[in-house]
Amino acid sequence: MILEGKRLLITGLMTKQSIAYAAAEQAQQQGAEIVLTSFGRARRLTERAARGLPETPDVLELDVNEPDDFAALADELGSRWGALDGVLHAIAFAPEDALGGRFLETPPESAVQAFTTSAYSLKALAASLAPLLEEAEAGSVVGLDFDASVAWPVYDWMGVAKAALEAVARYLARDLGPRGVRVNLVSAGPIETAAAGGIPGFDKLAAEWQRRAPLAWDTGDPSPVAGTVCYLMSDLSRGVTGEIVHVDGGYHAMGAPLA
Amino acid sequence: MPTANKEQIEARMTEALESFGADRDQIKREADWESLDIDSLDLVELAQIVEEEYGVKMREEDMKELKTVGDAVDFVAERAGS
Repeated sequence: MILEGKRLLITGLMTKQSIAYAAAEQAQQQGAEIVLTSFGRARRLTERAARGLPETPDVLELDVNEPDDFAALADELGSRWGALDGVLHAIAFAPEDALGGRFLETPPESAVQAFTTSAYSLKALAASLAPLLEEAEAGSVVGLDFDASVAWPVYDWMGVAKAALEAVARYLARDLGPRGVRVNLVSAGPIETAAAGGIPGFDKLAAEWQRRAPLAWDTGDPSPVAGTVCYLMSDLSRGVTGEIVHVDGGYHAMGAPLA
Repeated sequence: MPTANKEQIEARMTEALESFGADRDQIKREADWESLDIDSLDLVELAQIVEEEYGVKMREEDMKELKTVGDAVDFVAERAGS
């Protein structure tokens, strides 16, 4: 059990198909104690899905666009645990006009909203929880990424926001490393989550994976991604920070379709 | 998984839609989601309920084809083995 005794905060669990759900499930199986966050109307969904976990965790309020929520969250975790071993950032949002092939027409407010919710929020979360992560022996911050080193069809300003997320993670690694806290991202292949349903053209992307990834890639199975999240939360990765681990069946390393 | 007939499925869906804030009198087979003020987040929750209770997966791409309450009821009834 690689997460025995670890106290982890997991955001972004909305349904049983969520990558965060698979991460929460595996973390519990590996011995971790977990708490979830959700907000507003998504909370009902989170609570419904949470009942399917091996142990039903508590759900705390966190809207990453509400600065007060971060302080309240840190207070609650502080009085509950006194320290935090890890946090999974699984949060992204882009307005409809920032995705789907209208890259040249997207207004600045929509691009900014994608950036704030999907990238800046990693800094906000890590900074507000840093005092608790420091109290742990080896605090770990993990975020979910989609390879932002290249341009994709339809992903548009979400792709730009992911590029920002990658940079935010590197700067966080710089600033939190001296305090004993690691910051890493998992760059996942396409997974059929509720969030992916909001991406027009997701099916085309998923089909491309079947042609190019050398390992078989099942878009319905987030467990390989969750496994790497657990590794990055565990002491097995204690020398790793500022890293982007690709859990994409090898897609990123191929220069052309395989057949 | 218990088998369910179309009337039971329709009753369960009506109850769910009402819990999402739809007006009970407006929930009819021909009603579309917009007229009921049911948005994509509600539909995600509906899909979770249907999967839990009837073992029927409603994927995102299926959802796009289901425009009305009746469409959704028929979709589930066909697959729930009733």
